[in-house]
Amino acid sequence: MSARWRTLPEALTDAAASGTGYLFVDGASERPCSYAELLAAADRFARALAAVGTARGELVALILTDPAQFLVALMGASLAGVVPASLHPPTATSDLDEYVALAARVLQFARPRAVIADAALGDDIAARSPAVAGWADVPVWSFEELAGRAGPSPGGVLEPEPGSDRRRWPSLEDLALVQFTSGSTSEPKGVAVTHRSLAANIEAINGPSGLATGEADAAVSWLPLHHDMGLVGMALGPLYAARPAVLMTPSTFVKRPAAWLRAISRRRATVSFAPNFAYELALRRIKPSEVEGVDLSCWRVAGLGGEPIHAPTLEAFAERFRPFGFRAASFLPCYGLAEHVLAATFPPRGRPIRTATLDGAEFVGCGFPLPGHQLRIVDERGVPVTADRVAGEIVLAGPSVMQGYYGADALTADAIRGGWLHTGDLGFLDDGELFVCGRIKDVIVVNGRKYHPQDLEWAVSGVAGVRRGRAVAFGVSQAGAADRVVVVVEPAGGAAVEELAREIRRRVGRASGLYVDEVVVAPPGAIGRTTSGKLQRLAAKRAYEQGLLGPAA
Amino acid sequence: MPPSTAVADTVVEIVRHVSRRPVEPTLASDLVADLAFDSLQVMETIAELEDRFDITIPPDQVPGVRTVADVAARVDALIAARRSS
Repeated sequence: MSARWRTLPEALTDAAASGTGYLFVDGASERPCSYAELLAAADRFARALAAVGTARGELVALILTDPAQFLVALMGASLAGVVPASLHPPTATSDLDEYVALAARVLQFARPRAVIADAALGDDIAARSPAVAGWADVPVWSFEELAGRAGPSPGGVLEPEPGSDRRRWPSLEDLALVQFTSGSTSEPKGVAVTHRSLAANIEAINGPSGLATGEADAAVSWLPLHHDMGLVGMALGPLYAARPAVLMTPSTFVKRPAAWLRAISRRRATVSFAPNFAYELALRRIKPSEVEGVDLSCWRVAGLGGEPIHAPTLEAFAERFRPFGFRAASFLPCYGLAEHVLAATFPPRGRPIRTATLDGAEFVGCGFPLPGHQLRIVDERGVPVTADRVAGEIVLAGPSVMQGYYGADALTADAIRGGWLHTGDLGFLDDGELFVCGRIKDVIVVNGRKYHPQDLEWAVSGVAGVRRGRAVAFGVSQAGAADRVVVVVEPAGGAAVEELAREIRRRVGRASGLYVDEVVVAPPGAIGRTTSGKLQRLAAKRAYEQGLLGPAA
Repeated sequence: MPPSTAVADTVVEIVRHVSRRPVEPTLASDLVADLAFDSLQVMETIAELEDRFDITIPPDQVPGVRTVADVAARVDALIAARRSS
């Protein structure tokens, strides 16, 4: 089986011979790019990276919003033996000053050889970065400049294509990619996976116990490529199988959710994954006039993952789109995480949603471990739980487990113990099937994105009127909805509560794009001072839930 | 130049529809700080504005917009640009 595992350059070279490829869609504009064209562009990019003096094994950070640019840079880096690391680019509501300051913390930590950004964002960064430590030693390279370097000659004639230098190609044991998980900037976590793990996960996803990807399959996705589900699941999965994929920009979907379903219908797509919130958004925002004539009968795998899955969402979606040919049996709720490349469990295809209740709450079955991979539920002491319907931490072992967090040995040792990846997610088994209940780690999940309380606390710490070190943030889970975001602070001086709340919302919103549902200004001393932010957060959350912290603003 | 009353009223109405929070929007409301808008809601607002006013809002028009009044001013300018073209 492992004989079939291929590195990114090998898989791209194979796919280039297939005659198929990607279709990039942004709003109304469409641009086909065959895998052969992608290989040619990536080859040129690899030569440009070599020409500017990158060495094998060095890291380059990609801050690219355009999916085509992102994939050329990712593949180009790989062909040049350079490790691509993805950072989430600024969003429509990001404040660029805040973004540059937050990204600096990742750069200071990861120390990449360079940042590759599109020219416009590069200019924006260059205008701000001199004032920010962390950017000082990191050059910002323009994607367009690098891509144009070995590109068309002045006469417009393409140079002969000598290809990339195969001596620089990575082996299966080399790092394929590093994904800096969104938000985790105060304690940056770069999930580093080898080509071997990447291939193991992708082959399992495409294999008979996964999607059973075949000759008739085509994917449609609008998921961002700096995130594992978008990159590994919807872009690299099809490439490894040499099948076509329509890759839309996330904003195309977010602006008009109907564009997602229209693309599936028009392209006769068979596979499309999205987090639960996207199905909610489609239900709420798609107007009948926007989906006239849409035919979803081709959609055999409507995948879900990346955040808690709610049965009522799926039932409502199936009901609404049944007249358009959608089949409820197409839903494929999965479990996975970046630390396991992407996927960890798959349910049998074509099976109706299976739910189970525990302590009065309903959970959706996410299937069984991938072939060649192991899953266990363990208690607080790490001892495997063997009984059905007893919740504990989900731990995973097998070829898809990440190599570790880039440059963070202590964090890695904490996450991978005795070969088992501790996911921080809570789940239980029923007849061998995994049901995911929530999280042990104190991350906040809103609209499929993970936010780390440390980042919110860091943003709040700069607010005048907040006592130093006395700000905690946490999420309160709500069934069927995004977490409620709560910030608790102790005041310094006599700032007006209303004004303080406003400023805290402003800071957090600008830094992370997240709305703080409740700001609680607690009496002095209410937030315990401990050496661990986790304990401080836990204590504050308990006090909040018991109503001991006073009213919210 | 303040936005026209008709445009301003419609913009406030769309923002109220998208907001889904118990805060009454006014022209002075800051989308992020006061109304809790995330990037999803910003895009939803843009889509609604485009439908209602028959305009196209280019993505580079989004940064720098802070308040509901800023939104109304951009919409006014885009309507004016469409008329003059």
